[in-house]
This record gives sequence, C-alpha cells and structure tokens, in this order.
Amino acid sequence: MGRALRLVWVGMLILSCVAGRAWGQFPRSPVEAASAERGGRMYAEQCASCHGEDTRGTAKGPDMIRSLAVLHDRRQMLYGKELGPLLAAGPVHTFQYNEKELADLSQFLTSAVNGILRSGYNAQPSNLLSGDAKAGEAYFNGAGGCSKCHASTGDLATTGNLAGVGKRYSAAALQQKFLFPAVGLRIARKVQVTVSLPGGPVYSGDLVRVDDFTVALKDKAGEYRSFNRTPGTKVTTVDPFAGHAELLNRYTDADIHNLTTYLVTLQ
Amino acid sequence: MKLVQAGFLAFFLISTALIAQTKSAAVKPATTKAVSAQAAVRPLDLSKLTDSWPTYNGDYSGRRFSPLTKINTTTVKQLSPAWSFRVETTTGGGRRLSATPLEVDGILYFTVPSHMWAVDARSGRKLWQFDWESKGGEAIGNRGAAVRGDTVYFETEDCNLVAVDIHTGKEKWHASIGNPDQFYFGSVAPVIVKNHVMVGISGDDFDIPGYIEAHDPETGALQWRWYTHPNPGEPEAKTWPNDEAMLHGGGMTWVAGTYDAELNLYYFGTGNAQPVINGTARPGANLYTSTICALNPDTGKLVWYFQPNPHDTHDWDAVQTPVLIDGLIAGQTRKLLAQASRNGWYFLLDRTNGKALVSTPYAKQNWTLGVDKNGTPIPNPAKMATTNGTLVSPNQAGASNWFPPSFSPLTGLFYVPAYDAYSVYYVYDNNKRPEGWAGNDRGGWSVASLRALDYKTGKVKWNHEWPSPGGRSGILTTAGNLLFTGDTSANLVAFNATTGAIVWHAGLDGVVSNGPITYELDGLQYVVAAAGDTLYGFVLR
Repeated sequence: MGRALRLVWVGMLILSCVAGRAWGQFPRSPVEAASAERGGRMYAEQCASCHGEDTRGTAKGPDMIRSLAVLHDRRQMLYGKELGPLLAAGPVHTFQYNEKELADLSQFLTSAVNGILRSGYNAQPSNLLSGDAKAGEAYFNGAGGCSKCHASTGDLATTGNLAGVGKRYSAAALQQKFLFPAVGLRIARKVQVTVSLPGGPVYSGDLVRVDDFTVALKDKAGEYRSFNRTPGTKVTTVDPFAGHAELLNRYTDADIHNLTTYLVTLQ
Repeated sequence: MKLVQAGFLAFFLISTALIAQTKSAAVKPATTKAVSAQAAVRPLDLSKLTDSWPTYNGDYSGRRFSPLTKINTTTVKQLSPAWSFRVETTTGGGRRLSATPLEVDGILYFTVPSHMWAVDARSGRKLWQFDWESKGGEAIGNRGAAVRGDTVYFETEDCNLVAVDIHTGKEKWHASIGNPDQFYFGSVAPVIVKNHVMVGISGDDFDIPGYIEAHDPETGALQWRWYTHPNPGEPEAKTWPNDEAMLHGGGMTWVAGTYDAELNLYYFGTGNAQPVINGTARPGANLYTSTICALNPDTGKLVWYFQPNPHDTHDWDAVQTPVLIDGLIAGQTRKLLAQASRNGWYFLLDRTNGKALVSTPYAKQNWTLGVDKNGTPIPNPAKMATTNGTLVSPNQAGASNWFPPSFSPLTGLFYVPAYDAYSVYYVYDNNKRPEGWAGNDRGGWSVASLRALDYKTGKVKWNHEWPSPGGRSGILTTAGNLLFTGDTSANLVAFNATTGAIVWHAGLDGVVSNGPITYELDGLQYVVAAAGDTLYGFVLR
C-alpha cells in the first residue's frame, strides 16, 4: 500500500468514525481507527494483490465491499468471527488469524464499506481551482455584474468588500458562499420585510418568519413583532441576495469554476 | 370540453349518489369486532371513499380524491379540531409520521418504523399499539400499512413484512422481505391486490438491485419477486455495460403502487441507479432504474415500462405515485397514467401500453437536451456531477419527492408540491469503479410551490408560491372542490381546488409530514393529517 493510499484510508477511517456517529445506519457499525489501521496493513500485505488496493476486486479476486460475508460481519459487528473460518478453509485462503487479527481485518473492511455510503464521503470537494482566474475576474467585473455590489480590493464596496476573501474561506466554502449566500449558519444579511397595516402603521426590520397567515420581524431596536396577514395588510420582502439567485439562471459551469479560481486569489 | 364537463358532472352525481347510499350505513360503532363477524377476506370496497380510506392512496387509482362534499369551499371555515394523537414510541430516526393512515370501519391504522397503532377515528383514542423488536435498519420513515380482512400488514426497517391481527394488535406472522446486511430496509406501505400483498423495498446507500415482491396474505409465503433490472441476455440488459454493473444497479421500489383491475396491471416507479452520483462505470440508460413499470400482479411479469429518467446521476428516482386517470384525449376516453417526476418532468402515458402522450417540464430544470422519439428526456452529459462542481436544477431533493400528489376529476387538475431549485453536484470518488454514493450535492436555492397542472398538457393552471421554502407535504382533493395540504412551515391549508385561493388553515406543531385523508362517520366528515409526531383530526360539525 502506497503512502498516498494509506493517507486516504486513514482519512476514510477517521471520517467513517465521525460520520458513523452522526448519520450512519442503525446499528452503526462504528470503527475503532487504530484497529482498522492495523487491519489495513494486514490487508495491504496479504489481500490487496487479489482483492485490490481499494478493496473493489481485481480479475484475481472479488470485490470485498460487495462481499455478503463482509457485509454480514459488518452489520452484525462480528469482528471477524465468521470471516475466520472462511479465510482458513481454503482452497484459496489458508490464513490462520488469531482473534485480534480477525477483529482488525474486520474493522478495516467495515471502514471500507462505511466509506462508500452516503455519509461516508468527505463532503469537501476538491479540484475547485481548475478554472481560469483571468476569465473569472473578467466575469466578476463584466457579465456577472458582481463588481456593481462588491469591490475586490480596497474599501469601495457598496455591500461587500471581498479583499482577503480567499484567505478567510476554503475554495469549497467560497464557491458555496457566492452561489448560495443565504444557506449556512452565518448569514451576513437578513431578508428585510416591511409590513403595512390597514390604516397606515408601517413596520420594518429583519424577517424572522413568514407564511400566508402571519409574519414576524425584528425591528431596528431589536424588538420582535408579529402580525396577522389580514385583508389590507401589505407585506413586502427584499432579499439581499436576489442578485445571486438571479445569476443561477445565467451561470455556465465554466463561469462558476473561473469565478471560484479568481476569488481564491483575493488574498 | 363539453364532454369533459359532462363527464365530471356524471362523476359528481355518481359520487353524490354513493354518499347517499352510505349514509344509512354510516352510523357504526368503532369496533374491530364488527369486521371479524364478516369474512376474514372480505374484499375492500374501493369504489366509494366515503366512510373509509382503506389503502395508502385511498383507492387503487392514486388520485387521493374523495367524493365527500360536506366539507366544501363554503363550509370549510367551520372545520374544527376534533382530536390529536401523539406518537411517543419509535425506533431509530425520530418520530415523524410520514404514513398515510388507513381508516377502516372507524379505526385508523398508521405506522412509524417498527411500530403500528390502531386508533379510534372518531375520538383519537388508542385501541392498541404493536411494537416490533427491530434488529436494525434505516429508520428514516414508514409510509403506512395495508388492510385485508382481519389482518393489517406493514414493513419493518429490518426487512420483515409483519401481519398483525386487526382486533388484538398481536402478530400473526412475519416474513423476510430482504437482507438488511446489504442495506435493504422496509419503509413502503404494502398494497393488497387480490390474493397478493405487494411489497416494495428501500435502500440507496449501497449498490444493490431493487425489487418488488408479492406475498401470500394468509401465510406470508413469497409468491414471486421481480428485480428492477433485465435478466442477463435480454435486450434491455444492453442499457448496462456489463452484468456486474446491472446486478448492483439500484432501482428501489420506495412508494406504494397503483392498480387497474380491468387491465390487471400494477404500476409503480423505481429508484435511482447505483452508484448514485458517479455514473461513469455504468454508461447507458440503466433499465429499469428510475422507470415506471407495469407488472402483472399474478405472475410478477413485466408488461411494459417507460423510463422518465435514463442514466440517473442526480439521485432522482421515478417513484412518485403513478396516478391513474380515465380521461378524454382528442374526444376519446383513454386509460391514462400521470407522473410528476422528481427530475422536474411531467409525463402522461397510455397505461395500456406505456406510450408517452405528454413529456414536458413542470418545474425549473437544466439537465436535458430534449426528449427522444419515445418521449424520454435525454440527459445532458455536461450536467452530470464533476469534481469541480456542476450547477444542476432541480436539486437532489427534486422538483417533487415521495409526497403524494393528487388528481381531481372535478377540476381536471393534477396537483403536485413543486420545487424550483438549484444545487451543485460534486464527484467525490473518482475511482474508475466508483461504488455507493461516490459524490453528492451541496448547498441550494429553492422556491417552493403548490402547482396545479392541466393533466392533458402538463401546463400550469395555477401556482401558489409559499412565502418561504421549507418542508413538503402530500395532497388530498375532494368533491367539495377543496385541496388540503401542508405549507412549508406548520399549517394545514385548504385551497379552492379550481382557483388556488386559500380558504382555511390550521396551525400545527410542525410541517404536515404525510398525505392528509378524509372520511365520513356518523354523518360527520373528518380530515386527518400528521405533523411530526402527532396525528390531528378535524371535523365539520
């Protein structure tokens, strides 16, 4: 097993432990990282040549992730108890593993299975800097219209100064932020709402919630107010990210890749 | 159009007559003993959804249309809370009630993963609770039960079909429906078709083939299983690069099907292909994934298929209820099937042969290069996931999802909870032989609407955009010209089904999490919907 591959496996192991706790199947078949790493070394030395370094099989040996015996071992958390006789019985295998070795191998294979599940992947995209930074800059200042609201340097921005943004966010986070700025935990700007009541009173502030029947806001003083949307009540909202949403209908994927690559240069 | 109007009028009159017929028999006590006195295999009367809601969709058509009229656009304002029932037991993933309750002889039957209840439909009082000791499985939800005679059936997340005595709530038998080691799990509401308990299967974490199977309703014995892929060597097998990919290609049967007794065809959709996001190792259309299938329920043989979503790489299953409509096309009465698919396209098929009459987008979508000669959308390769991200509409959750749509023969409109949405799809596993998910989408922008489509054309007749995005809900329509559904926050809302005007609402504790139902008992019409862990009953007095 090459160093790079080992690093990938270690990463997967760590992730499978974390992800398993958060979103995994029930029972979750959690993995003890050190045990799986030991099992990974055994696998690399004794199994990978036939079953593949990635455990997905070769012409000489079947896919271990799709093995019913492995899947049964994983779900029942048998720690190799039923894999042992299979590995020892021959004619292909005559491995005589002890209990601890079987547990380690079981943990490694469990981590390999966990790693392909929906929750098993590292949800941080890579290869995001494949675009053309110059083209991204041209889009920013031209067709995208980004520079109408955002300055890329200095303090000329009307609604946002992006200087240093490439330092503050990873490329993956940056891409998501310019595509979907209203998604996430730290939303810089709230939807603004104005409620005009019959007879004249008008209230404005940050939108807290709205449906077809009620609307709630937090005004400049920080006071929470809610209103029934009775006949004659007018509710107007202004989405501070409407320009970003409008761009979704116009972007090409190349625009997105170029813009990401450009924004990362704003260190 | 006059013919259509005449048809609707005739239907309406028949519906009214049926209601009148049932009134005399409507006053019945809520007792399961009343059922036992009759034959255990008494067939369900699905022709008149008046005093009962006996299947997942009410009847076999999937229309979720009730002929009841007491609650109508005029009277709905007097619709008031009658009772509520809170679920306090669950297994695994929360207490969300996504089941459509059944109502038979005054008793409601509904489920969450591994648990089922019988509750008095008049008062919300619990009669019994059945608890299955689960050996594990994905517990994201359970869509409900099926009733036949004195037995009520449901699936468990650890892959069992369980038959429960309708009177006592005790198990009669259980039968395996899959191998949970392979990440199969049960969540689908079974459907009784003649002497068959039709069972769908769930599971999209792993590269396994989907299937549908029929069990003997008395013993649980497996009658047949049909895998959602061709047999090796069949012409359709050429839509896969090799048998290994095909036999691990996904296609789960997540949602209860519909049935035409005259044609003796059972209709259902299948799930997405596997590996889910990276499809490079499975070039081709990947039949029968993301496909609408028509099966003979007696033999388990495929009669026809239509694929709404060839070579899926976005987790867009085509399991949305295939709704059966007897409509008029060019002056001819036709047996039709309509689906508002997760990929943003509306399809109207001839359900005798699966030929597409209409294929048209009903929501924002950017993933196609048009349609082929069969009316199947052609995926744009440029809109498949990449390592550096591809902007796709709709998003993974889809323009629609499992939430039941509805069709009203009164209005001629097909109603669907529709999302216009974008997200970015990434490949995470660039292995030449990706497995499992191999990628995912991230982030998103969406606008949520309730959308009414002309069933003949798929064109939008009216649209109600919810003021904020959020949850989704199923839909019920009635001959009172009403549509009931949940909004994106926490309201059960009634619309004028013709105009799309809101006429009533009730605030609940959460988003309506199932498909609402209606029934009439003792001359009183009820509407029942779930929100989170609570079932709410409303009545017009």
